[in-house]
Amino acid sequence: MAAPDRQQAADISIISYMPERAKVISTHRESSATTIELVLEDGRPLHHSPGQFVQVSVFGYGEAPLSLCSSPTRSESFSICVQPKGNVSRAITALSSGDWVGIRGPYGQGFFPIDQMRRKNVLLVAGGIGIAPLRSLIHFICDKQKDYGRLQVVYGAKTPSTLLFQKETAQWVENPHLDFYLTVDQPDKTWQGRTGVVTEPLREMDLAPDNTIAAICGPPVMFRFVAMELLQKGLSGENIYFSLERRFKCGIGKCGHCQLNDLYVCRDGPVFRYSDLQTRKEAGEAWVPEKAQDAAKEEKR
Amino acid sequence: MTPRGIQIISGPDFNMFLEAIMAVQTVIGPRERGDQPGYYLFSRLQRAEDFAPGYKTTTLPPKKILASPKEKLFSFTFDKPPRLRLHVDASPFVLLGVHPCDLAGIDALDHAYAHPPAEMRWSANRKRATIIGLDCQPDAYCFCSSVGTDAARIPCDLFLTPIDHGYLAEIHSDRGRQLLQKANTSNAGEEELAAAKRWRQQKVERIRAKFDAPLERIADILETGGLTPTWKETAKRCYSCGSCNTACPTCFCFDMIDELDPDLRGGTRYRTWDSCQLLDFAMVAGGHNFRGERWQRVRHRWQRKFLYLFRQFGRPYCTGCGRCSRACTVDINIVDVTNQLIAAAKMEG
Repeated sequence: MAAPDRQQAADISIISYMPERAKVISTHRESSATTIELVLEDGRPLHHSPGQFVQVSVFGYGEAPLSLCSSPTRSESFSICVQPKGNVSRAITALSSGDWVGIRGPYGQGFFPIDQMRRKNVLLVAGGIGIAPLRSLIHFICDKQKDYGRLQVVYGAKTPSTLLFQKETAQWVENPHLDFYLTVDQPDKTWQGRTGVVTEPLREMDLAPDNTIAAICGPPVMFRFVAMELLQKGLSGENIYFSLERRFKCGIGKCGHCQLNDLYVCRDGPVFRYSDLQTRKEAGEAWVPEKAQDAAKEEKR
Repeated sequence: MTPRGIQIISGPDFNMFLEAIMAVQTVIGPRERGDQPGYYLFSRLQRAEDFAPGYKTTTLPPKKILASPKEKLFSFTFDKPPRLRLHVDASPFVLLGVHPCDLAGIDALDHAYAHPPAEMRWSANRKRATIIGLDCQPDAYCFCSSVGTDAARIPCDLFLTPIDHGYLAEIHSDRGRQLLQKANTSNAGEEELAAAKRWRQQKVERIRAKFDAPLERIADILETGGLTPTWKETAKRCYSCGSCNTACPTCFCFDMIDELDPDLRGGTRYRTWDSCQLLDFAMVAGGHNFRGERWQRVRHRWQRKFLYLFRQFGRPYCTGCGRCSRACTVDINIVDVTNQLIAAAKMEG
């Protein structure tokens, strides 16, 4: 019986939960997060689409789901961007080049309907670490510029020091094909850019509502305000996409942790149309937390 | 399900049958706990006498045999590169004495785990098992007739109904037929068939706990919502201990953990049972909890059993075994709460 089982393990449609080995080829530390560049042991491309995620194992610590922040158009390696918030993510941020990890995936339905975005204007709104999965899409669209309309990116961070991909964002500002709006919530003395939350630049922006697709990734509380702003600008709920975060343990719709009403966020998402989320009560509850949750947060501050 | 054949096996012959199986493979079945008389558990039977055919229920369902509470997935080393080895156990065993509700529980998990992408671990363990079902009599917590599992026969290879001086054995698969060849059996007569029918009739008549509405209606009620007062009322009593999930034959949520070997040169990744009632079940690394309120978690359990999975697989993820109600430290009874929900929906109109 052992032989057929081993065959099954090789079949990707049958899941054994044993990851593939991958090697860290570079790490880039910024004050709030670390970007880790990886390559699979056999060197083959990951073949992901923007918005998908991988399960990353640091053996002895465990496994964590992380969005891919690199574009499949640059397939010689892939990258994840990690904030040290839990046991596994702390272990991941401590990795250095030459270290080995385990990779399962890519999982999820991938981002935004890249095909539907073709020839349309694309508006991306990122809050905090939410820039990571959107960076994958930014690179993708920049690499296939002819296929898309105008690319607009709004990126908000809490403070100037928590801004991610600083070298790249400096280039994005210069990029003539990309309208880049950078804003921070709490400026410091050196900050000369825009201040305020992401909805403020949105308000000023000139959008073509019938020809724009918007994709958003950020903390839960941001979703509702951004959606309200975009709806007010005339975008329809079908053209607004959210990338959600949940606790994915298995990545394939089995373990139950990421269930959002009838959806498994890992399997059916993590990217969803706003119009599909509007009918799911638990999505709304996450965006407008119960008073108790608010109070708990206040206490923490 | 119509059996492929029916045979009679006497009590003494049945014991010899068990001994004959035990000589060649492991038999796992219900036995009385040595430390807690009156309580039963599924575990390895050493002798035919260990089998407790009259058991009412077990604390944990037989799913623990097919997906153990802490299940080895693979081992790893800290070499560069790490060496990974998948854990495979292929030894066959017989799972004996599974009540219809628990057969339905195994079937429910077959659907959930086999739904693409299929999971290797569950299906590998299922292939190892030959399942012998056993008919039962209800206690005050049983409500299998409300969820349509009182006569479940899928998935079993043989199914036993107690009759005078022995069992009526239904054959449900080739594997079952082969296994039964080890036994001294005779053809079933009218009298024995009538006795087994009587057993089933009595069983259904004795069931007291019942849902006040059909399953489709319960799903509609949960979908419509407006039940927050009932959820909050139930949550006031709930401790979020997760006993209901642990005791449930259809709950399959899990977590994965790494453990280190004592020599610190490697370790093992395990899959462990998890519970949607625990506070941190839906919490992410940043600290946001997507089901931080207890009533949301209570609601989630009902919605998953009677709405989401019911709609996805066309069957409730509840088998009417009553284990969650028996296990609950504060006597939250699944039938009572469901009937409260039905009543609340009626009031709403």
